[in-house]
Amino acid sequence: MPVLLEPTHHWVCPNCPAESVTREARPHSQFHTCPGLKGLSAPMVEAGVRVEVRPVERDDYVGSEKVQTDAEGRPWMAVVTKRNDGEDRAVLAPSATIAARS
Amino acid sequence: MAWSASKVFMALIEDALENTDAKNLLTDTHKAALYDNDITPDNTVATANTVFNAGQWTSAGNEVFDAAEWATGGVALTGVTSAFASTTYTFDAANTSSGASATLAAVFGCLVYDDTVADRGICYNYFGGSNSVTDGTFTVIWHTNGIFTATG
Repeated sequence: MPVLLEPTHHWVCPNCPAESVTREARPHSQFHTCPGLKGLSAPMVEAGVRVEVRPVERDDYVGSEKVQTDAEGRPWMAVVTKRNDGEDRAVLAPSATIAARS
Repeated sequence: MAWSASKVFMALIEDALENTDAKNLLTDTHKAALYDNDITPDNTVATANTVFNAGQWTSAGNEVFDAAEWATGGVALTGVTSAFASTTYTFDAANTSSGASATLAAVFGCLVYDDTVADRGICYNYFGGSNSVTDGTFTVIWHTNGIFTATG
């Protein structure tokens, strides 16, 4: 009888000591709050893969937008993962807001 | 004109308060569709123009998609939450990702809409500039405050 094994994925971060393990057959990614990127939500990468993970500055001014910032309050637009064979991008979406005032 | 801010459609509020449709933010299927900078989103438009593939949200020439990776019409939100705490209501979901081989150019923002109820718009989120990916994964990391919040 065949035995189906769930593949194990070992994740690391090139910018901090974080490590993680997932058991999932479908393609997936793993994110964490990265102290190396001053608290930004950033992708982890599979152990053994050489990549660069870096934040991308926001192009537009912030204005009244509820943007995502690092621990120093600096707004960022995205986090890019540069691989030898391509690039992934995780955009840090602002929150839309509506306020009722009396 | 172009993208300039993230907003909640005012028609969403009116339609909910007037029971215009049977929208259920918690249980309906919602999607996030990506757009370039050719559009000028406006949260004061009538309900008909909040809809995916209508008004500013016309797909042809404006929507950014890549077949099965981030399909036209958008990717469905998962892990949706809808709740309030104290004076803040929050609509949120798990981060939304493409397939692993997406090629998407000049994405400036997304329309979040109710795929269950006539594709009616909920809100739009401006990413703050041009974002592209070539043969990779494109992920929208929603703000810890939520996709949208309402405070009273």
